[in-house]
Amino acid sequence: MRDTPLSNCERRFLLKAIEEKKRLDGRQTYDYRNIKITFGTDYGCCIVELGRTRVLCQVSCELVPPKDSRPTEGIMFFNLELSPMASPAFEPNRQSELLVMLNRQLERCLRNSKCIDTESLCVVSGEKVWQIRVDVHVLNHDGNLMDAASIAAISALSHFRRPDVAIQGRDITVFSPEERDPIPLSIYHMPICVSFAFFLQGSYLLVDPCEQEERVKDGLLVIAMNKHREICSIQSSGGIMLLKDQVLRCSKIASVKVSEITELINKALENDKKIRKEGGKFGFAESMPKERITTLKREEAPVEMADVKETANEIVNRTETPTEVVSSPVLVAMGTAQVGEGIVNSWGLDEDEEDEPQTEDTKTDDVMVISDSEEEEVVILNEEAQKSTKLSKRK
Amino acid sequence: MASVEMRLPAVHKPVSPAASQSNRDDKHLVVPGDVITSDTGFMRGHGTYMDEDRLTASVAGEVERVNKLICVRPLKTRYNGEVGDVVIGRITEVQQKRWKVETNSRLDSVLLLSSVNLPGGELRRRSAQDELAMRDYLQEGDLISAEVQSIFSDGALSLHTRSLKYGKLGQGVLVLVSPSIVKRQKTHFHNLPCGASIILGNNGYVWLYPTPGHQDEEAGGYYTSMEPVSLADREVISRLRNCLLALAAHKVLLYDTSVLYCYEASLTHQIKDILKPEIMEEIILETRQRLVEHEG
Repeated sequence: MRDTPLSNCERRFLLKAIEEKKRLDGRQTYDYRNIKITFGTDYGCCIVELGRTRVLCQVSCELVPPKDSRPTEGIMFFNLELSPMASPAFEPNRQSELLVMLNRQLERCLRNSKCIDTESLCVVSGEKVWQIRVDVHVLNHDGNLMDAASIAAISALSHFRRPDVAIQGRDITVFSPEERDPIPLSIYHMPICVSFAFFLQGSYLLVDPCEQEERVKDGLLVIAMNKHREICSIQSSGGIMLLKDQVLRCSKIASVKVSEITELINKALENDKKIRKEGGKFGFAESMPKERITTLKREEAPVEMADVKETANEIVNRTETPTEVVSSPVLVAMGTAQVGEGIVNSWGLDEDEEDEPQTEDTKTDDVMVISDSEEEEVVILNEEAQKSTKLSKRK
Repeated sequence: MASVEMRLPAVHKPVSPAASQSNRDDKHLVVPGDVITSDTGFMRGHGTYMDEDRLTASVAGEVERVNKLICVRPLKTRYNGEVGDVVIGRITEVQQKRWKVETNSRLDSVLLLSSVNLPGGELRRRSAQDELAMRDYLQEGDLISAEVQSIFSDGALSLHTRSLKYGKLGQGVLVLVSPSIVKRQKTHFHNLPCGASIILGNNGYVWLYPTPGHQDEEAGGYYTSMEPVSLADREVISRLRNCLLALAAHKVLLYDTSVLYCYEASLTHQIKDILKPEIMEEIILETRQRLVEHEG
């Protein structure tokens, strides 16, 4: 099915915002979205979440006869699939340009860079070699599939373990995981793709474009690099003219990003190894946090608390002083955080100010005491209410 | 610039049975996999399949029975056109002698060159020059309001704008809702008394625009006024847009009365507060109560 076209005003808005160095989700020009890597119970299964883009990669192996031209090398087979689950624009069994581009880039990044030692995959020269098959499925498309796919592929390959084999003459015995521990693949380096989207005839660039930014882009530059600052592949599409210093700048940015991402992948692999060794629970089910279904559910967003105190003080200074002096009924319990401690309750500012009992901020920042007065409404903010206070960030 | 807003969740007030829709009981709602009937005497229609002699639903929706035919009408679906529906669409392609219009249906709808009014309102055969000048009338990305003239055999709709009330849309706000909550009425063009006008497209696209001052007869629907809209009009339209989103979130049927009641119920709140979940519930409750009184 055809994707809903972007309206003219959305297009203009995005381009204008990019001119002013602003992005829809508030990121900076060179910022990546949150990357989350989780591994499944099987070795070689990995899900990567880049913001809302989700990609699943599964690595499997099989004993096959080798290619005639290379009898001592194993075979790597890459396959990327765009399922209709990812976006209504993807149709099953439809060879689109995007699919071809992603497949080619993934192959170039992982196969041509020789990151996996294929010689070690040989079992009997000329007869049996391991064929490593990497299947990448796109689960949700929110932009920048290439980066997510390359991270997923290399993470899954690093996580994968192939069965141990023993050769006696011409007999090959493949041991099951219970008999002998499976062996990891020998990986020389981790090439990771970094995508740069260009706008307005190459004058502005963005790293890690989201889906809407991708729709208004003029061209795309994908650099595959490893943490040793070796470029594995460069691909420029869209037909835009790039200057030499632009490409050099992009490669510098890419090296920074790649080292960060490689560290993240290694950390995730370490965590998984540790949990498996300790015998803890691992897999996708455990990595998802227990989510309770509430009526008011929002995504976690980092809230900038830097100028909250100033704005709160401003609001306090702007409001007129209340007529009665009432001590605050706020009780600060151990281990709770409270924003704006000791500040006037400004919740009721827009509505009926007279009716609600106002709390007065004391000169010192001491802990407030619950008043014993019977006349007023006592509102006790205890730990439970603190936890259920919802914070929402508004811009 | 960045502000922190905090609210505590309030105790949910129990909804009185009078306010809730009373006709909810006689609707037979199913989800995919539900068995509709084990009787083999029925013919199966859309949205159903046979699972070992039992008629099972394959979509989530309402069961419709016409004599021996059972089908399930899904609640959330792409727009299925009927002849005579008013739709709002966006031009996606300009082809030879026709435009392709995106109308939230499974296939792009078709607007033939012979189905549009030429500027000036003249009636004549379309010449080759008209074909070359198609892009001057409607370009990719333009919004139009049109009526469904007929349906092709593959399900694509054929639209026409052969009336002065249809044509290219100018300044306004487009709200996307599900097609199943737009109520079928005699007219879909309303001038709301609050100071704005609304076009409720059957395909789920709703267009809000400032009420035009005087009708420009010779425009023929292609002249779009680019005069700046006043702040008061903009506020009314913003409020209406938030009300529409609130109504859509609570699955209230959209028609001029429900939109108007929701607008009036929301006047006590600020425009930006309407989208907050608790306030949304309050407004919708009041709207529902007024609608029930209005019908009863």
